[in-house]
Amino acid sequence: MLKKLTPYLNSLPALILISLIILFPIGYTFYISITNMNIFNWFEFNVVGLVNYERALFVLDSGFFRAAFITLIWTGLNMVLQLLIAFIIASLLNHRDIQLKGLYKTLLLIPWAIPGYVSILLWRTGMFNTQFGLLNQWLRAFNVAPVQWLSTEWLAFTSMLVVNLWLALPFMIMIMDGALQSIDRSYYEALKLDSNSIIKKARFVTIPLMKPAITPAVIITLFTTFKQFDVVYLMILQPGQRTGADIQTIITYAYENAFITNNYGYSSAISVIIFIILIVFVLATNRDLRSEKND
Amino acid sequence: MTKKQKQKVLNRILLHSFFISFILLTLIPILYALTISLSGSNALLSSDFTFIPQDITLANYQSLFNDEPLILWLGNTVILAISTLTLALSLAIPTAYVLSRLRFHGRFSIFRGLILLNAFPAILSMFAIYRLFSTGPISLINTRLGLTLVYAGTMVIFAILNLKGYFDTIPHEIEDAARIDGGNEWQVITRIVLPLAKPAMVVTSVLILIFVWNEYIFAVTFMTGAENYTLAAGLFSLQAGEISGSWPIFAAAALLTSLPILIVFLFIQKYMISGLTVGGVKG
Repeated sequence: MLKKLTPYLNSLPALILISLIILFPIGYTFYISITNMNIFNWFEFNVVGLVNYERALFVLDSGFFRAAFITLIWTGLNMVLQLLIAFIIASLLNHRDIQLKGLYKTLLLIPWAIPGYVSILLWRTGMFNTQFGLLNQWLRAFNVAPVQWLSTEWLAFTSMLVVNLWLALPFMIMIMDGALQSIDRSYYEALKLDSNSIIKKARFVTIPLMKPAITPAVIITLFTTFKQFDVVYLMILQPGQRTGADIQTIITYAYENAFITNNYGYSSAISVIIFIILIVFVLATNRDLRSEKND
Repeated sequence: MTKKQKQKVLNRILLHSFFISFILLTLIPILYALTISLSGSNALLSSDFTFIPQDITLANYQSLFNDEPLILWLGNTVILAISTLTLALSLAIPTAYVLSRLRFHGRFSIFRGLILLNAFPAILSMFAIYRLFSTGPISLINTRLGLTLVYAGTMVIFAILNLKGYFDTIPHEIEDAARIDGGNEWQVITRIVLPLAKPAMVVTSVLILIFVWNEYIFAVTFMTGAENYTLAAGLFSLQAGEISGSWPIFAAAALLTSLPILIVFLFIQKYMISGLTVGGVKG
């Protein structure tokens, strides 16, 4: 009898903590999402049904659609650029004539090893600040008028894209490097492709053989990019230091509605919608979940 | 020199110049912060900025210890990190072990549930947690216990999934041999499984520590009193905006805060890829 209970007794403490801290608040978020809770109705709020969802999904200028659109562009652009740049750099790292590979790899890793929020704040102040940011110092040296990097949508978006690439590339480079190393050189020789058709080699040997090794990492990065909060929040949306660029991703949009404009019900509805999108993502990408019961 | 040798030398020169210039380019923000943190405050205004500071001074670093409560923040962070790590690991190891080794009813549902919850960004339920903490029977706002529970709850899911993934790769036969020799379950786990799972244990622990070290949004939102600030929350409060704050002091604090993580990270570099990708989750 005790033997039968062992697995439950072993996992019970962890499951209790997860239920209290993660699961229950998610359920509570769902409950708040069907109420009209806001700063004026902090204690006396009522269940109002799906009003908040209607506002998010059927009111076109609610802001949610714009945020969702920006999030899609953000995720797509980031993924394409990351895969492309990481592939080029990893290929160069695995060039026949490379020397000091270990040293270069370690140096390329540094952005990954620095706390993300520190990097973002260093970029914001060190590079993009209008007065003493390096970019404007360089412009001034060439007698060009300073630019407000984070104040207009296009420039701010591009700046954030650069910062996110800087943060994310080391992980992707390391994964691609590992995948490239696992490809046996004899494949290239077996195909007897002439030496100068790099594109053919990549298309018929390298990329197909890399695919299984990089797929999990690509999926992980897809999630992190889609859920990215820190870059956008820290660079342009901090309370009291907003730069004026009107860019929200769906996550910052949910945050703003809870902590800045205090529309708790509406914000919770956005959170629930995002959670549903993420569940669909997970179900579509996670092999452990799709496979039939294996116990 | 033959044509082939010439090509090789040329390739090497091209590769070296590419990597040196690319790496220098990527390190500019860090090098700039380093220079500024080591210069006097007037370096900002001089028009002929160079990456080598004109007169090196440690004044900005001294000011962090004398004028800012850096030591207090460090202490708060260390306490939080250790309590989170202890709580998360002591709950995650037995759970990951039974999920990996024993066949029991509900095992797969628990595993599925954890994968789904792992995809949920904690920030989306931050308001719900805040409200529960502030209106519940015991207020957990502005307490270390509250923040530890949030951090451990988030990280225990990651730890279970990552450790289970690694436990799955360890053959059962070794454990069975130990059982035949008369070892009990506790001994099997502590003497056989955990040492074999060292890469995953190291990476999981380090990533939990890094998570606590780097987390700022819960720390800033839940710790309302400055005396409870973590390093991340403190640094957040020090940051230089367009009009306020001191950029040299912020740069010094940013570099000091990053240094321990940087060292640990480079140290476990070789475990990083294997310890993470086997479990299939990233923190």
